[in-house]
Amino acid sequence: MERIITGFVAALRENGIRVSPGESLDAVQAIGLCGMEGRKATRQLLRLTLVKNVNDIPAFNEVFNRYFNRFQFVDPEVNIPDLLNAAITEMEGEFTYLNEVRDDHDDGQGPLVKIDSEVNPEDLQELKSLTEIDPDDVDGIEITVQMKGFRGKAKKPPRPTRRFTQNPLTIELDKSNNFDQHRVIFSPEEQAAMQDVVSRMMLRLRKDMRRMKNNQNRGKLHVIKTIQKNYRHDMVPFQVALRRKRREKPRLVVLCDVSYSVSHAARFMLLLLHTLHNQLLDVRSFIYNRDVAEITEMLANMPVNDLMETIDKGDIVDLDENSSFGQVFLKFKKSFLDNLRGRPAFIILGDARNNYGEANDWVLDEIREKARYMLWLTPEERETWSRGDCLMDVYGSYCDKVEVVKTVDDLSLVVEDLLRDIYADTAHPIDRKLLREAKAAEVYDPKDYYHRGAHADTVPVFDPSGRSQWSFHPSERSQW
Amino acid sequence: MITQQAVMDFLRAGSYIADDAIATAVFLAIRMEKPILIEGPPGVGKTGLAKALSTALDFPLVRLQCYEGIDEGKALYDWEYGKQLLYTQLLRTQLDNYLSVSSDLREAVERLSAEESLFFSKNFLVQRPVLRSFLSEKRSLLLIDEIDRSDDEFEALLLECLSDFQVSIPELGVVEAKRKPLTILTSNGTRMISDALRRRCLYLYIGYPDLDREVAIVRAKFPEICETLAHQMVTFLRKTRELNLRKPPSVSETLDWAQVLSILKANQLTPEIVASTVGVIAKHQTDLQKVTELAVQELS
Repeated sequence: MERIITGFVAALRENGIRVSPGESLDAVQAIGLCGMEGRKATRQLLRLTLVKNVNDIPAFNEVFNRYFNRFQFVDPEVNIPDLLNAAITEMEGEFTYLNEVRDDHDDGQGPLVKIDSEVNPEDLQELKSLTEIDPDDVDGIEITVQMKGFRGKAKKPPRPTRRFTQNPLTIELDKSNNFDQHRVIFSPEEQAAMQDVVSRMMLRLRKDMRRMKNNQNRGKLHVIKTIQKNYRHDMVPFQVALRRKRREKPRLVVLCDVSYSVSHAARFMLLLLHTLHNQLLDVRSFIYNRDVAEITEMLANMPVNDLMETIDKGDIVDLDENSSFGQVFLKFKKSFLDNLRGRPAFIILGDARNNYGEANDWVLDEIREKARYMLWLTPEERETWSRGDCLMDVYGSYCDKVEVVKTVDDLSLVVEDLLRDIYADTAHPIDRKLLREAKAAEVYDPKDYYHRGAHADTVPVFDPSGRSQWSFHPSERSQW
Repeated sequence: MITQQAVMDFLRAGSYIADDAIATAVFLAIRMEKPILIEGPPGVGKTGLAKALSTALDFPLVRLQCYEGIDEGKALYDWEYGKQLLYTQLLRTQLDNYLSVSSDLREAVERLSAEESLFFSKNFLVQRPVLRSFLSEKRSLLLIDEIDRSDDEFEALLLECLSDFQVSIPELGVVEAKRKPLTILTSNGTRMISDALRRRCLYLYIGYPDLDREVAIVRAKFPEICETLAHQMVTFLRKTRELNLRKPPSVSETLDWAQVLSILKANQLTPEIVASTVGVIAKHQTDLQKVTELAVQELS
């Protein structure tokens, strides 16, 4: 029994469903309590104990069917017990065969009619009960010959564990045609340059942020703690205890177009925000082309270059399709909008070129209801916003701000401004005033402490060769 | 010895129509003494299941509503500081007498520290829902509602309670549950619950019920609604769910609507009736329009 379950758990893991040993123990216990009465009930039992996420349920069903459904359709006339016995004999043979194959490779003997020592009669009884079919079951008349599947499995190479792979053929095509041309890998220098941009930004922000955080944490008088603290002073409140406010990181949701036209900027954006993630921000990132997918987890867990490669291969979203903003918004609303917490600030990065698809701009209206702030970053100049299939004018009307961003430095300035704005929103009133004043003063001060955009030579130079139309050096701005 | 069928029957007696998955989950939760984590769209009877169970099993319901910023002082236990202070003030003379016996300071401190546990005893402990359900003499039903609204820290706090049914109080030590409560956690999925918490629970997803079950639910709650009308209602609502509404009507809306229709004494659905009661089903302005259009299309 346990072996069947562990085998099944292994199959689940192969398909990307995380199952802990504790959960498989639960499953065994649950089956011990309820018994295995029919496929439907067993599936429910296993699903209750092994699957802990709605999104995993379809995958679970598939694995379950594949694993427990090595069935043969039989004529109802056939004597079932006879067939069962035959099946069990077959199973015994296969068990032995399997173990032979697994254990002694050089032996080379075929299946033996010898009962494997590891298979005891109880196991076979359990298997037998598996084959008892619920007549109401939608799957029809079938006899589950459990071991059938093992036969193929021993020979087959293990299934790839990547969960987002699409049709293998397209991936192959991708590799041969587009992949090498559009392959964008950050060189160590580029990564260092980005780190540099980020660290300079952090330096500028840090002072303000720290002060704000301290103020943010200070709250009203905590009466009980004050009394406790001053008990030794006979209740004269020498020491005051203040309530601590819950420290809340500003939340940010980023939607990045990864189609070829804007891809490099999108990558930089993601990297930038995730360097800031955990320090100052709570970021959730999505990438889209025609489809939309969340990559927050992957950004946190994978090395940057690996992830970029995965994105480039089109494993996460298909890059060969034309980008469609309308569809992306619809899909985003359907699968993600409801489970966004708090009131995040939204950043959408894209050229708003919809390829003449449906605009679906009403979704933006709904997003705006949920968002604290909406910012659209586009590489196109204002004059072209309504030309051709560009819907920037339509989409822009829903946003708090639309910024034209062309260089990496532009981008980091925009993000910095945004961060200040977000923090100012949640800041202590005094800080808010100070911040606003500082910001206003900054613009007019000729000897700007922060050197905002003044020193071109401090800007990291990115090699634009082989990249999209995105330019990375301020001197190239003139081309636009 | 109860079985899944028995679970289904007693839930039905409490006019909660369960399907196989729900019955199995409840059965397992009772037998394995593990919490159930229920996810699903709002209004499909996640909290309703807990309530129905508590009446059906006669377990007192202890409910903990989660919200952003909930902490252990609100969920597990708290010390009654006021009472502690009051007692020390009132007992001051007693203490003086008690300590006057001792000859020197050292002895006084020893005497006092021997009685220290008095002030951190259960007398001064405020039991919050989790602890209350653990210490209840009768097996209780602990409902941790909308866990997704709480913070990650709070989730971590619950881990110990849910896996071992015990609460560690630094001053008292570990307090174990007298009777392990039947625990139900609900979540609307506005936030991903951590895997650590999921692992400690059985996972049950309740989606929209199928046609027959929904009709049965309506009939169980409002017997005065005739079979044909219930069938018509549910079929119509199932179509509206496919309309891509901002807030699709769920079972609770079905029941509200059934109540409205039974008050209006309607025998049949017509576009007019739908138009006049549409506010019960659709909760957004754009949705109202779509539903009335569908009614004209389907029912006339």
